[in-house]
Amino acid sequence: MKRVARAFALALTILGAAVQLFPAAAQDLQNSQIDIAYVEPGKAEYRPIYDRLRARQVLEELRMFLAPLRLPNKVLVKIEQCDASDRLYQSGGPVTICYEYVDRLRELAAKIPADSKTQRGVSREDAIVGAFVQVVLQRMSSAVFDNLDIPIWGREQDAADKLAGFLMLQFGKETARRLLNGAAYFFEASDRTWTGSDFSDTRGTEAQRFYNYLCVAYGGDRRTFSDFVESQSMGRGDQRLDLLPEARAVRCPKEYSDLTWAFDSTIMPNVDRNLLGKVAARKWLRPDDGR
Amino acid sequence: MLSAKGLIWSATLASIMLSPALRLDRLAAQPVSALTNDQIEIQYSEANASYFRPIYERYKKREVLEQLKQFLSPLVLPAGVTLRITAKECGTVNSWWSGRSAGLFLCYEWPDFAERVAPLDITSAGITREGAVLGAFLQVTFHELGHAMFDIYDIPVLGREEDAADQMAGFILSQFGSGVARRTLPGAAYLWRQLGEAGGPWPRDAFSDEHGHPLQRAYNYLCMAYGAAPDLFQQYIDNGLLPKERVPNCAHEFQQIRAAFVKTMLPHIDPVKLKLVQSREDWLLPEGSEPIPK
Repeated sequence: MKRVARAFALALTILGAAVQLFPAAAQDLQNSQIDIAYVEPGKAEYRPIYDRLRARQVLEELRMFLAPLRLPNKVLVKIEQCDASDRLYQSGGPVTICYEYVDRLRELAAKIPADSKTQRGVSREDAIVGAFVQVVLQRMSSAVFDNLDIPIWGREQDAADKLAGFLMLQFGKETARRLLNGAAYFFEASDRTWTGSDFSDTRGTEAQRFYNYLCVAYGGDRRTFSDFVESQSMGRGDQRLDLLPEARAVRCPKEYSDLTWAFDSTIMPNVDRNLLGKVAARKWLRPDDGR
Repeated sequence: MLSAKGLIWSATLASIMLSPALRLDRLAAQPVSALTNDQIEIQYSEANASYFRPIYERYKKREVLEQLKQFLSPLVLPAGVTLRITAKECGTVNSWWSGRSAGLFLCYEWPDFAERVAPLDITSAGITREGAVLGAFLQVTFHELGHAMFDIYDIPVLGREEDAADQMAGFILSQFGSGVARRTLPGAAYLWRQLGEAGGPWPRDAFSDEHGHPLQRAYNYLCMAYGAAPDLFQQYIDNGLLPKERVPNCAHEFQQIRAAFVKTMLPHIDPVKLKLVQSREDWLLPEGSEPIPK
């Protein structure tokens, strides 16, 4: 059965490549089940974020990206001031992206000097774009599970992380690298010491999520992301904590294969293949994104 | 009374009612000996190390694998697939699913380890030595069995498979009946809590493993227990073993597991045998009890 799913996924990839010759017009990519809203922030400090996201039409683009998804119920996706650092998706929705969260990811990205990159190759712009796309797709994944009544084995928040990482890989190698590297950076930079009852959180630790995103990337495309893995030839003193340890890396291809199977057997039956090809053909990132 | 059990029973009864050839009075007449499954094979491999021999002897005397086989007999395995379960000395403190060919390995090292970690007396939180040892054994058994089920039935796992296997274990433990659930679920959590509290603070790469942190696993088991039967496990909330911030989410989390089980596992379970398994009350009798009569 898994072989059938892989063949199906491959066919979709080829289909996507074929329609790149005929890029989709924006009006082709619509999803009437997704409502969007930019809620004006009360705090003046979030106003530039509000203006920027609105001008960039990020939610309109998200809706276009999700055009192939057939959802039985409507979902509202909104960006608003939460008066909290974050807001997880609750059954029934809405999907909420907090200005506070966006502010935080910009703050962490600012640790990377302008016109510079981290040792793993993350630029400030990639850090902003990757982390933003990650949180949007992760929250949206939770909404999709809920909307489609998908059976979830494993913790729901981790499943949403894995689906978000899986989707990021479908943007094409160059964009996937920017997004996944940026998303991983966010968790790398926001790493904190967990003790005692911290571990009762429904989400994984930042370190676990950091490794999970690197693992999805490497598992999905070993050649493109081989530099995400700590080399066995490295000595103890050369250990790099910004890379995936070899012991985990060897398991990532199987993890990704299982994820592909799970996606194909649960979500794919609710995806319009024709529209998926059109989504795959479109360039979603712009050169000035994250600036 | 466990709410999850109610749902499984409803599903079972629904399928029974839908079958005109099958009547409940006939079902009630089914003997326990009906709990057989030719596609499940069990084996006790003799322990070499003298310190594992008592465990080996006890497993055999208590017919641990025979009970497990009966408990698993409702599984409808695909044609040509045999579920092999071997108790053995592994040379490591572990147990694992080794694929469809080799099957499930349950190591004597694991209960030996559990006995060393288990409290000598009942703890202030109400966890007994027997519950901790039994909980640890059943937790690892059904965790590895979870991996087996995901593999054998090609079950899609969207989250992390190691957590999913813990969920399978926790869900199954909640299905034995309130007595077993009460003894074993906190016992399973106890082992992970002890392991988690032994170290720390942990460097970043300590979190690169595909398994959750031991404290995460401890909280997950307690959350599953409370989500399955809030009244039965209220004391673990009252005494602070599960932080209050997590508590409101547990019913929803358990519902997620139950829904996944019903959708992906229940179609592979024989409803008549399942009812027989659920009707038995002599599973896992405490140490010293007589073996189950055949």
